[in-house]
Amino acid sequence: MKASAKLVSISQASDLINSGKYLNIAGDEAALTQLPKGNWIGGTIPYFMADEGGTVSRDRVFVNEIEVFGDAPTIRFYDVESLPQLCRNAPENGYTILVVPAFGPCHSAFAENAPNYEEMYMKPLIGWVAGVHLDDLGKTTPKVVLGTTGELSDQHVVAMDVPLPPAKFAHIDIVNLFQPSEGEAITFDATGFAAGNCLINGKSANLADYLTTNKIDTRLPLVADYCGAMINVSIKSVDTAAKRVDFYAPVFPGVTYRIAAPVSDYVNGFQAALPKLDTSIVFSCNCILNFLYSDLEGKRTANITGPITFGEIAYQLLNQTLVYLTINE
Amino acid sequence: MKAEDLLHKLLDIKAPWQIVNIREDLGKQQVDVWVAHQTGKSRWLFGVKTTSVHEDKEHAWRHINLGDTRCVIHAEASHESSALPWRGEVGQPFTHAMSRVIVAMMRDGIRLQSICAILDITVGDLWKFKHGMDSGKTGLTTVPTTASAEEAGTESRIPEPDSPVWPSLLDGSVNIDIRLLSLKLLLTRMRDQMRVIIDPEVRALKCYELQRFFARYEKTLGHELSQIEKLG
Repeated sequence: MKASAKLVSISQASDLINSGKYLNIAGDEAALTQLPKGNWIGGTIPYFMADEGGTVSRDRVFVNEIEVFGDAPTIRFYDVESLPQLCRNAPENGYTILVVPAFGPCHSAFAENAPNYEEMYMKPLIGWVAGVHLDDLGKTTPKVVLGTTGELSDQHVVAMDVPLPPAKFAHIDIVNLFQPSEGEAITFDATGFAAGNCLINGKSANLADYLTTNKIDTRLPLVADYCGAMINVSIKSVDTAAKRVDFYAPVFPGVTYRIAAPVSDYVNGFQAALPKLDTSIVFSCNCILNFLYSDLEGKRTANITGPITFGEIAYQLLNQTLVYLTINE
Repeated sequence: MKAEDLLHKLLDIKAPWQIVNIREDLGKQQVDVWVAHQTGKSRWLFGVKTTSVHEDKEHAWRHINLGDTRCVIHAEASHESSALPWRGEVGQPFTHAMSRVIVAMMRDGIRLQSICAILDITVGDLWKFKHGMDSGKTGLTTVPTTASAEEAGTESRIPEPDSPVWPSLLDGSVNIDIRLLSLKLLLTRMRDQMRVIIDPEVRALKCYELQRFFARYEKTLGHELSQIEKLG
């Protein structure tokens, strides 16, 4: 049986929940609160890549059905204190889907510390960062939902650990169209969601000054090469007066960043970059910044669907990147 | 053998160091032992101390358990005695001997939570110790560990943990084309750690960690392993 992933009405989602299926559900807070209790985890977001293309909807929810191959998945909240146990608690063979509410304490804690969690990279971890409609920024907070109790929280993350039988394994990968440009090498001396002072080509500089003086398009992320994986850090804002740049993910010391080269045609570029897969995608999500900057509303990104999120998780927090999970034999 | 001598032997404390005080009432199933430089004949068992540990310079380290009883050693920190197994490094929670036991367990793939349970140590102390190693602040050369060549699988395509391929991958002197995302991220993190780790024993431990990853995901690392085989 192939698990489904689609944008559905609240009534359809409720039927799936009531049938006992294990689900990951993304939707506006008002929609999620109408759903019954059950075996699901959720997060707030009203942006989706649906079968019909990029979609904004407050009254439909995106449902990923999680196929169960034996042992039942487990669902739980983590707070900032327990979050470092995330990977240790994950099944020996299986994967974890994680939903993190943007801007809350767990968001920064996960972003900055996840690479050092016990068992990190040893067990597949995929997920997404919950957000809000851009019209609601500052009016309400992104939240996650523990479906088993119906509880919403902006102070916890919610995780579903999915065990797999020995013959199967989870595979997580990313599609990132951004490549580092030939421009200057930028390094930082501390981990953080904001930075000012940095080294540019080895010389002391201020990043806000650099971006402003060089008229850098701040829709382009900083990109770092992680042994062949291009990892983005997206620019949130530039405060020239305070000489500070805010990011949607932390920069790390010891990592060399470059401004990304422009991507002229995201939709066709995405189609070309997507690897040919032998198996169906269990879960995927793409970034709200790709949705906005590449004007994806009404446009399809190949046959990949899922929530459009405030951050993507493939082991660690990513920006402006599509992440996906497949189950392989 | 006198009880005094036996305890010195059990804790591997040798002259000119000696036990100057011992208490068993500071914690449940815990014995605290104070060790100081010998200045005269020890009489601690009989209530006469000839030496003492200056409190303002005192450090405490968890030592290997005595049966089911936790053993905490108190002593002054000094470079002169840094290599002794019953001592630890300033700011670190464990003696060198205890550190050696922990690292051996890590090498065997025992989960950190299990190590805590088996040795009756706190997760916080273990993480402090691990962080010290990962950040290059803690070394293990003072108490060399012995690695068994039999620890790695013999039927595997994966090189032994002491193969030169692992340090080469970790220091970046050798690069391979990596397809698995988790390995790209893991290797990036480990290379960042290796830049600050000087201690050869901790560097060797990192080789074990990387080798363990390959062992765990051998089935999916055919592309990477074929390149590694050519390196050998």
